[in-house]
Amino acid sequence: MTAGMAQSQGWVTRYFKAFCKGFFVAVPVAVTFLDRVACVARVEGASMQPSLNPGGSQSSDVVLLNHWKVRNFEVQRGDIVSLVSPKNPEQKIIKRVIALEGDIVKTIGHKNRYVKVPRGHIWVEGDHHGHSFDSNSFGPVSLGLLHAHATHILWPPERWQKLESVLPPERLPVQSEKESLHGSP
Amino acid sequence: MSFMKLKAISILLTVINFINNNNKKSGDQGPWWQSLHRTMLRGILGKTFRLVGYTIQYACIAHCAFEYVGGVVMCSGPSMEPTIQNSDIVCAENLSRHFYGIQRGDIVIAKSPSDPKSNICKRVIGLEGDKILTSRPSDFFKSHNYVPTGHVWLEGDNLQNSTDSRYYGPVPYGLIRGRIFFKIWPLSDFGFLRDSPNGHRSPGD
Repeated sequence: MTAGMAQSQGWVTRYFKAFCKGFFVAVPVAVTFLDRVACVARVEGASMQPSLNPGGSQSSDVVLLNHWKVRNFEVQRGDIVSLVSPKNPEQKIIKRVIALEGDIVKTIGHKNRYVKVPRGHIWVEGDHHGHSFDSNSFGPVSLGLLHAHATHILWPPERWQKLESVLPPERLPVQSEKESLHGSP
Repeated sequence: MSFMKLKAISILLTVINFINNNNKKSGDQGPWWQSLHRTMLRGILGKTFRLVGYTIQYACIAHCAFEYVGGVVMCSGPSMEPTIQNSDIVCAENLSRHFYGIQRGDIVIAKSPSDPKSNICKRVIGLEGDKILTSRPSDFFKSHNYVPTGHVWLEGDNLQNSTDSRYYGPVPYGLIRGRIFFKIWPLSDFGFLRDSPNGHRSPGD
């Protein structure tokens, strides 16, 4: 009886030690991966229709957020990016990059008709104008708030696709300082 | 460079030792260069994978520590004198940022609004909704500004020599990286950081 009990105790301690070792290896690696490489997120709201969430609240798209691509804060006009909301730091918003630093944009609903994007900032807009809380409300956002680049839609399966970095021609900047890879004014 | 050489030599010695032990244990027949080749390959491959694995593991632990707990930072620049001098080493903690516990009077590290790759170190003068005095004391008409929601107003302690919110406006809370609370170098100034030498700047106090 005692020999059996000693054996089972040995088994429990060994299992516990193995669990702790695995835990302290797995958790930091997983957290670092989700913070630095990629993660997934569900999109809510109608501000990016029809690119994201065309079905409204019935079916929310799930997108793949790529942190690695923005590790040097390099974005192009037309990219769909997620950023920390300048009005509410607890929330992340997902919008399209319309203009980079140095560009002059023609705004929709902003207090100034034309805005020059300052250094280190970008101008973001949702695709669904009028139903979007974006730079037309809060102005240019600092690149430091950039969180990730949304590259693919992962769910629902019928909407599997790579998100293209296209800028609608009517939203091209009036004047741009930096060259863009996609299209030209 | 010498550190890398020492590492390479130590790995080589470990590998040779490993091969010797293996040869004594297995005692397999056949030409000595075949068994040497086999064990060397296995030994070096195994060691490399283990080294890479440990490096990844420690890098991830370091990332989690700096991101969620805090770290040691060296500050440069004159904008926070006399509280923090050039080349002082301070401790920063990130828990206040994650729990939204940053208060007026805290010294914070934030990403620079005009250059996301560099950090700035300033004191929080006002939180969202606060009324900030933006006119200079020499101005006749005093002007006030309200800090918008989700933003903070940062100013350096060395008001004459600091580019801060008086220059680039209120800073979004999301740019704050951590709170500085302790100085560890120079030893003559070791300890918790002092209050602002400029007194309170928002008339609401």
